Amino acid sequence: MTLIIEGKNLSKRYELGKNNHVHALRGIEIRIEQGEMVAVMGASGSGKSTVMHILGCLDKPDKGEVYIGGRRADTLVNGHLARLRSREIGFIFQGFNLVPTMSAAENVALAAEYAGHSRREAAKMAEDALRIVGLGDRLRHSPSELSGGQQQRVAIARAMVNKPGVILGDEPTGDLDSATSREIIDIMRDINLKTGTTFVLVTHNPEVGQACDRIITMQDGLVISDERADVKEDSELIA
Amino acid sequence: MRTIKNVFRRKMRAALTISGIMIGVFALIVMGAMAEKITLLVDGGTKFYGDKVTMTAGNGGGMSLGTEPLSTKTVKDVEKVEGVARASASIMLLQDTKGASVNMGIPPMIGGIDGRGKAFESFKITFAEGRDIKAGENGVAVVGADMVKKLNAKVGGNIKLRGETFKVVGIMDKTLTAPDSEVVVSMHDIQKLYVKQLPVMLRDKVDPNTVATGLTIYIEKGQNPETVAKRINKQFPNFTATGPKAFQEQVASSTKIFTSIIFGIALISLLVGGLSVVNTMTMAVTERTREIGIRKAIGATSKAIVRQFLAESAVISLSGGLLGLLFGAGFVAMANSGNTGTPLFLVTFRLVAGSLSFALILGLLSGLYPSYHAARMNPVTALRYE
Repeated sequence: MTLIIEGKNLSKRYELGKNNHVHALRGIEIRIEQGEMVAVMGASGSGKSTVMHILGCLDKPDKGEVYIGGRRADTLVNGHLARLRSREIGFIFQGFNLVPTMSAAENVALAAEYAGHSRREAAKMAEDALRIVGLGDRLRHSPSELSGGQQQRVAIARAMVNKPGVILGDEPTGDLDSATSREIIDIMRDINLKTGTTFVLVTHNPEVGQACDRIITMQDGLVISDERADVKEDSELIA
Repeated sequence: MRTIKNVFRRKMRAALTISGIMIGVFALIVMGAMAEKITLLVDGGTKFYGDKVTMTAGNGGGMSLGTEPLSTKTVKDVEKVEGVARASASIMLLQDTKGASVNMGIPPMIGGIDGRGKAFESFKITFAEGRDIKAGENGVAVVGADMVKKLNAKVGGNIKLRGETFKVVGIMDKTLTAPDSEVVVSMHDIQKLYVKQLPVMLRDKVDPNTVATGLTIYIEKGQNPETVAKRINKQFPNFTATGPKAFQEQVASSTKIFTSIIFGIALISLLVGGLSVVNTMTMAVTERTREIGIRKAIGATSKAIVRQFLAESAVISLSGGLLGLLFGAGFVAMANSGNTGTPLFLVTFRLVAGSLSFALILGLLSGLYPSYHAARMNPVTALRYE
């Protein structure tokens, strides 16, 4: 298996004021292989969102190195980071984070345009991506005309429109009821299995964890466990 | 399309900001049009007086309207002065005997010239319709472009000037300066009109066949008009000869100050409009912090963010500019059509282009700070913004 994301000795400290800071990450190591679906779990403040921001190149570590597809990413300048984000990484957020004045199709197309596709190409790509998530009949709807689940599906379509190697999710089911959560988990799993896209999902939701191949658990800025589903099942059997 | 949609997301605010720019451009167009008209009048005067000397009776200063009598006999004497190529007598009278209507610039005049200077005149008059007055032809008139409406003049038709009827033989092309507000008649006719308006006591003292109020003196090539004017003043102490400098000093320089003040006021109002664009764009950036975070997360470069917000401020300022232009031009057209004399305003291409580009540049400059601020935002901080 090839590594798609690698974080070496990642540290991050946030200054909250004079003599007041938080160690969000304390020198963690993280390796994600291509095609994996990984859940990063832990209590609030454990550093899981920070790790996602750093692995997603939205933020830089104070110490440590980040590799995306084998290339060093934490030393890149902003312009190159933007290009990397647009082509190699997709994001799904808790609050859906769609641009409210744009239709579903425009929201998805925007990501394709930022990746360098023409408006026409981007529109076609957006339509295809929305069909995959089952919103082929909602292309012209604005976010306010869509349910929470539908909005998250638009966000998934946006994350996958450029066929990135990895999609990062920050509490992707956080704002959804349990039935809709399951729908979203199924869609992500389906994409993962069919296209081999890697998913790294920061979550509180145990159902998301159950659907993943691997669960990384964090506490106080450290990785306290890293279990594969098969191992987990085995250990449960032994117990 | 997307940019326009974004701008009008907050309709009221967009409308208010656009109004700010609109009022600024409106002021710039209306006041600028007034300044342009004055500038053109003055340019015409500068051109007209540029190469000649004018002479009036009395010695009370150069720019009097020249209503004190002079004689056509003086013409021959003046032509003997060194440096004078030709002299031509003329009479200028106000068209309206009463206080006249409100009119800035040049009041409507009746003029008569003896035609001696035609070959020497560099300020050529052309005709939109009809022809010039022929030598020795009387009872006919040539009408300036801005006088057509006021006098209801038609070639072949009649007009009344100071109680006398004249047949219109020609309508002059627009010159955008003095001749537009003139009606020209023969020297003989103007002399009659001139004597008629004199007080009875003075009438006997004036010979209606030789009277004139001004002389236009054409200068020989290579001669300095100011020097020739000085020479004439020495030889004809009862008259005043003035060179082109007098017009420049008395009229052109003061109008320059006047037009600068007008433009200054208009620019200030536009600057105020510009500040409201800064305010609107700064608020738009703050309000859309989260959206900027999303855009950056999905791959927008800083350049793309700057471009987006700059495009939005350009849309605001251009819409304001175009509306201001529309209302300004409409106002100018209305004001000009309501005024039967010389139009007060002139909307020129350079004024339109200048106002629009100024509004656009101002909008772009105003959008620069907010968009730069937006582009520099850390995506994580922006995404967390509530």
